[in-house]
Amino acid sequence: MKLKEVDRTAMQAWSPAQYHPIYLATGTSAQQLDATFSTNASLEIFELDLSDPSLDMKSCATFSSSHRYHKLIWGPHKIDSKGDVSGVLIAGGENGNIILYDPSKIIAGDKDVVIAQKDKHTGPVRALDVNIFQTNLVASGANESEIYIWDLNNFATPMTPGAKTQPPEDTSCIAWNRQVQHILASASPSGRATVWDLRKNEPIIKVSDHSNRMHCSGLAWHPDVATQMVLASEDDRLPVVQMWDLRFASSPLRVLENHARGILAIDWSMADPELLLSCGKDAKILCSNPNTGEILYELPTNTQWCFDIQWCPRNPAVLSAASFDGRISVYSIMGGSTDGLRQKQVDKLSSSFGNLDPFGTGQPLPPLQIPQPTSQHGVVLPLKKPPKWVRRPVGASFSFGGKLVTFENMKVLPQQGAEQQQQQRVFISQVVTEKEFLRRSDQLQQVVQSQGFINYCQKKIDGSQTEFEKNVWAFLKVNFEDDSRGKYLELLGYRKEDLGKKIALALNKVDGSDVALKDSDQVAQSDGEESPAAEEQLLGECIKEEKQESEFLPLAGGTFNISVSGDIDGLITQALLTGNFESAVDLCLHDNRMADAIILAIAGGQELLARTQKKYFAKSQSKITRLITAVVMKNWREIVESCDLQNWREALAAVLTYANADEFSALCDLLGTRLENEGDSLLQSQACLCYICAGNVEKLVACWTKAQDGSNPLSLQDLIEKVVILRRAVQLAQAVDAHTVGALLAEKMSQYANLLAAQGSIAAALAFLPDNTNQPNIVQLRERLCRAQGEPAPGQEPAKHPYERQHMAKGRPGPAGHPQMPRVQTQQYYPQGENPPPPGFIMHGNVSSAAAPLPTPPGHMHSQAPAYPQPQRPQNGWNDPPALNRAAKKKKMPENFMPPVPITSPIMTPLGDPQSQMLQQQPSAPVPLSNQAPFPQPHLAGGQPFQSIQQPLGQTGMPPSFSKPNVEGAPGAPIGNTIQHVQSLPTEKITKKPIPDEHLILKTTFEELIQRCLSSAADPQTKRKLDDASKRLEFLYDKLREHTLSPTIINGLHNIARSIETRNYSEGLTIHTHIVSTSNFSEISAFMPVLKVVLTQANKLGV
Amino acid sequence: MGRMCCVSVINTVDTSHEDMIHDAQMDYYGTRLATCSSDRSVKIFDVRNGGQILIADLRGHEGPVWQVAWAHPMYGNVLASCSYDRKVIIWKEDNGTWDKTHEHSGHDSSVNSVCWAPHDYGLILACGSSDGAISLLTYTGESQWEVKKINNAHTIGCNAVSWAPAVVPGSLIDQPSGQKPNYIKKFASGGCDNLIKLWREEEDGQWKEEQKLEAHSDWVRDVAWAPSIGLPTSTIASCSQDGRVFIWTCDDSSGNMWSPKLLHKFNDVVWHVSWSITANILAVSGGDNKVTLWKESVDGQWVCISDVNKGQGSVSTSVTEGQQNEQ
Repeated sequence: MKLKEVDRTAMQAWSPAQYHPIYLATGTSAQQLDATFSTNASLEIFELDLSDPSLDMKSCATFSSSHRYHKLIWGPHKIDSKGDVSGVLIAGGENGNIILYDPSKIIAGDKDVVIAQKDKHTGPVRALDVNIFQTNLVASGANESEIYIWDLNNFATPMTPGAKTQPPEDTSCIAWNRQVQHILASASPSGRATVWDLRKNEPIIKVSDHSNRMHCSGLAWHPDVATQMVLASEDDRLPVVQMWDLRFASSPLRVLENHARGILAIDWSMADPELLLSCGKDAKILCSNPNTGEILYELPTNTQWCFDIQWCPRNPAVLSAASFDGRISVYSIMGGSTDGLRQKQVDKLSSSFGNLDPFGTGQPLPPLQIPQPTSQHGVVLPLKKPPKWVRRPVGASFSFGGKLVTFENMKVLPQQGAEQQQQQRVFISQVVTEKEFLRRSDQLQQVVQSQGFINYCQKKIDGSQTEFEKNVWAFLKVNFEDDSRGKYLELLGYRKEDLGKKIALALNKVDGSDVALKDSDQVAQSDGEESPAAEEQLLGECIKEEKQESEFLPLAGGTFNISVSGDIDGLITQALLTGNFESAVDLCLHDNRMADAIILAIAGGQELLARTQKKYFAKSQSKITRLITAVVMKNWREIVESCDLQNWREALAAVLTYANADEFSALCDLLGTRLENEGDSLLQSQACLCYICAGNVEKLVACWTKAQDGSNPLSLQDLIEKVVILRRAVQLAQAVDAHTVGALLAEKMSQYANLLAAQGSIAAALAFLPDNTNQPNIVQLRERLCRAQGEPAPGQEPAKHPYERQHMAKGRPGPAGHPQMPRVQTQQYYPQGENPPPPGFIMHGNVSSAAAPLPTPPGHMHSQAPAYPQPQRPQNGWNDPPALNRAAKKKKMPENFMPPVPITSPIMTPLGDPQSQMLQQQPSAPVPLSNQAPFPQPHLAGGQPFQSIQQPLGQTGMPPSFSKPNVEGAPGAPIGNTIQHVQSLPTEKITKKPIPDEHLILKTTFEELIQRCLSSAADPQTKRKLDDASKRLEFLYDKLREHTLSPTIINGLHNIARSIETRNYSEGLTIHTHIVSTSNFSEISAFMPVLKVVLTQANKLGV
Repeated sequence: MGRMCCVSVINTVDTSHEDMIHDAQMDYYGTRLATCSSDRSVKIFDVRNGGQILIADLRGHEGPVWQVAWAHPMYGNVLASCSYDRKVIIWKEDNGTWDKTHEHSGHDSSVNSVCWAPHDYGLILACGSSDGAISLLTYTGESQWEVKKINNAHTIGCNAVSWAPAVVPGSLIDQPSGQKPNYIKKFASGGCDNLIKLWREEEDGQWKEEQKLEAHSDWVRDVAWAPSIGLPTSTIASCSQDGRVFIWTCDDSSGNMWSPKLLHKFNDVVWHVSWSITANILAVSGGDNKVTLWKESVDGQWVCISDVNKGQGSVSTSVTEGQQNEQ
């Protein structure tokens, strides 16, 4: 395919391969006159610009020369590594002269472009060649058997390769060997070729077929084989190319007889030794394989002869040919269509007229119809055989699982007749770049299997680089130990024994005088070096803050400090924080704070109260009244919400000591959220500790992710270790399946699994991938991992394939049996085209839960919700429904805190992202997701009505169970075993009262019912639900003990119990609905939903 | 701290190809291997568990086969191959038998590269040819393929095509749920005009040259658009006859500001670049039959982490990187 043309009758030389961009130099030919018979001569340089679609060559410079040329070559001598200097143009003139030009000066337009000139030869200099090993060496040949070797660094005196050959003859060609730098060949029209060894300074071999018809017009060495060369003949009687091997110099190895008339020029491709160009007086330009003689390509030319032909050294697919009709043409041998080229020209043209819109129609110009070119197709076929430079020999590609696929192609020299055995092999390698990451991941997996969590945590504590890291691991470790609350307290710096000592000291030494107080400060300080040493280790930097005297802010609305300094206030605080009422009262009495003493004594029990009352004489005012109030009123939310965040540790300690099971997690969460939203990055990270206490994995992940750079595999490993351990802890504490995975956690876990997979640890990736989530990316990854392991995808049924297959029909015309090829089965495809699947689409897990249909639609609560009359609740309170916009929520939280009405019952709403919760699958959900309908609804409604109009609606719209697992799973929360530890605290303040006799019937009835259901329930899922319900009903019993339920609710509950006794469960459900719709939601939210589950199950099972 | 990279051969497949292999690609799961060769054949092997079972020996091309490309499994087992014979063949497995399902002969010269679009767009194949054109085949159902052609994309030849991952620019993090994703289809091509070009589908379905990336001084042999890992940055690797490998990155949402960074200048032609699935390692295949693996260090420098010497087992190289932050 012709790329470019320029009308010149000229010798041509491509710029050297090293040089970019590609130039073509032309020098007026001495042998031919152009059409104008002009005798002017010039040296021109053109740039080959392939991005320009036109056929014109871009002229860069013209130098008017006094010479005409027989030969022009462009050597790379002095091209520097940057390519700034463009080498040397070497021209052979008419009168024995050799001229060196500086092409960069020609391009720059300088007048003084000649570097040097020598007139040493006799006659025209027709032969020139540059040594490719020593580019400063140039060989030249002229008449009288003259051959000179020029050193461009020392141009004055040329050398000769040896004695002149006899008889004297013209030297028409000269060529340096391509493999051995001191070997040179020359040839003459007489047909003889001589090979010179410059080291010996003599001809070493003469090559001739003795036919007298070989008139050498071309000579070329084999690019790869040192002993082979070709000679071309311009004699019409013998228009051949002979291939010679010097080892068998008696006759040619091969003779190519592809031309009908004399050959005028040849060029052997340096890029592919199987490509030899030749042009002849038969007006053909051929590309042949000199090793076989086969014609690979015939360039479409006009009828003119070409006298020079050259491969472009830099672009191996490009060649140029100079013809006698005064034209130099540039071709590509890769074929292709010239239509595109022409089209492009037309496009270019029309784009120039693009704005031409004379009628203002706004219509673009209609596309031009191009007249078809004379030949039928503008298509030019490429070479028969692909050139070497397109035959890719190597190609490593990555594939799934960190595998690298490479292949091997043995180097095969095409030898004639030699059948070479080749082994073409492909290698699949495993690439591992993150060894440390894999090692730690492996460790974690082992720990999970062996359950050696305490050991693991301890190792982590020992190996921690930072205090914070140490703290986090210490908190995690506590989850697996007895008396977790107590241990948490110790970690926060409240060790009971230490406090006891301090109090004893204070009581002994302090007499209320200032001096004594100072003493006690000192004592506390010196004390701090001994026993609290452990605290210091654990909570390092905080000790100092604790010792600072803090200002109390008595204003109710503001924040206040909880002082824990060594003075009396501090000691009282510490005593209170650890539940040591007796000591606190003693301290108050000692400090003459009778009111405090009495109030404390009331909370401390009858006996203490009595004792204290005796000593109560006058009212006293104190800065810590507020803390006392909180303790007495059991209003811990007050503390958590409004304490100075610098006192987060104290607040957390208070919660750990006092908070009820049902509010514990929420309080920890709340404190964590406050810390997280604080600007102080130190405090932000401390939020992690609160979330660990709360057992809130999702929030831990969110908080951690904010603080750490997650792109590094090892930092992700850091996070995953904690998450996995905490989840284990939650599972242990809860003793039920806690596999619920939120969106963020799922994202992190799948990131983690992806990383493992990328390191080839497919099995480990599968092990860590959360298994009962329905997030599409996880489901897809799981399927990919399973298949990669060589297993069938999870679940063989096609329905469980994460990608519904898009069947592609066979392209062949089907046989009679298949007249119609299956069309795309649109309804199944996922993801199909640009339609994303609806949320929850194709989620395996749901299929099973859908299998348990319930009489009550899952949207039941939701639809009932608008009836809830709850206008009085403050907006943006801590227990507001979670806002749908997480970011907005976070901003609002801290500034909009209002002291809410005292809580009489907790609302189990985590402050998590509801969207993340929506996607969770909840096997233990009391209201199974029989379909997805209720969940996308908040989305569709934009979330607004839920947020602004009916606050509780959001809560009710989401089954409470959704928000519970995190809460209930709090390892520190006194549930199950843990409650024993809390009760065994020496203070014994959380002892449960008995359920009033008149309400005991409720407990027995409900528990009997659950037992009945359990005995007839078949599937483990239902059993789990029932077990769960049984636990949750504890909330109800607690409220009964505390007499905190309104009479209406209690009446309603008794009605339900009666209907249970008559086995009329549907009546029970109706009563249930009535209670729910007429009561204060916060009062009942902890147990009513589970009660409904039990009733529903009972109804279903018919027990 | 130093980091080790270990490359170990876990499976050696004797392909019995009778001539040079030009490409070897694993399927989506990494369980099947497709190879193609100058012997005009395409072969498929089951390589699960270190095995090598020849599943198919596909004949149909009349010249050397340059590349093979697996379609996403949601479309079944589909493989595309391109050849010097100017054809693209799409092969498909039906009931365990592989067969030609479509033949595209719309090019006038060697077809050098084939690449499937991200599966989210449907079944679309981009083909780059030595005739300078790029064609796009879209499966429209019922065995029909719609062809769009970009003529004269690269003068004297297109050597490589590579699709951009399916991401919606600028809204990676907060994609509004429930909305139709507003994908912008894009791919990169490299050619004998030393250019990398980025193409983008307009709203009217026409392909438009969006960007020309100029840094190479010789043929661009390969381009590889890095997989998306959820970051807003787009990355392209390119390699060339000039021995240079560039990493191009684009941070702005409009996608117009691409800046090149030289990964390395090799002494020989670089034929192929391939990203790992997690987009953090680049495999570079050079003309000296050497494969090197590269990774970006913390300070943004590209570091060679391994030389892979084929056939000689594994070679692991330890390269010390800049200080590694533990957290």
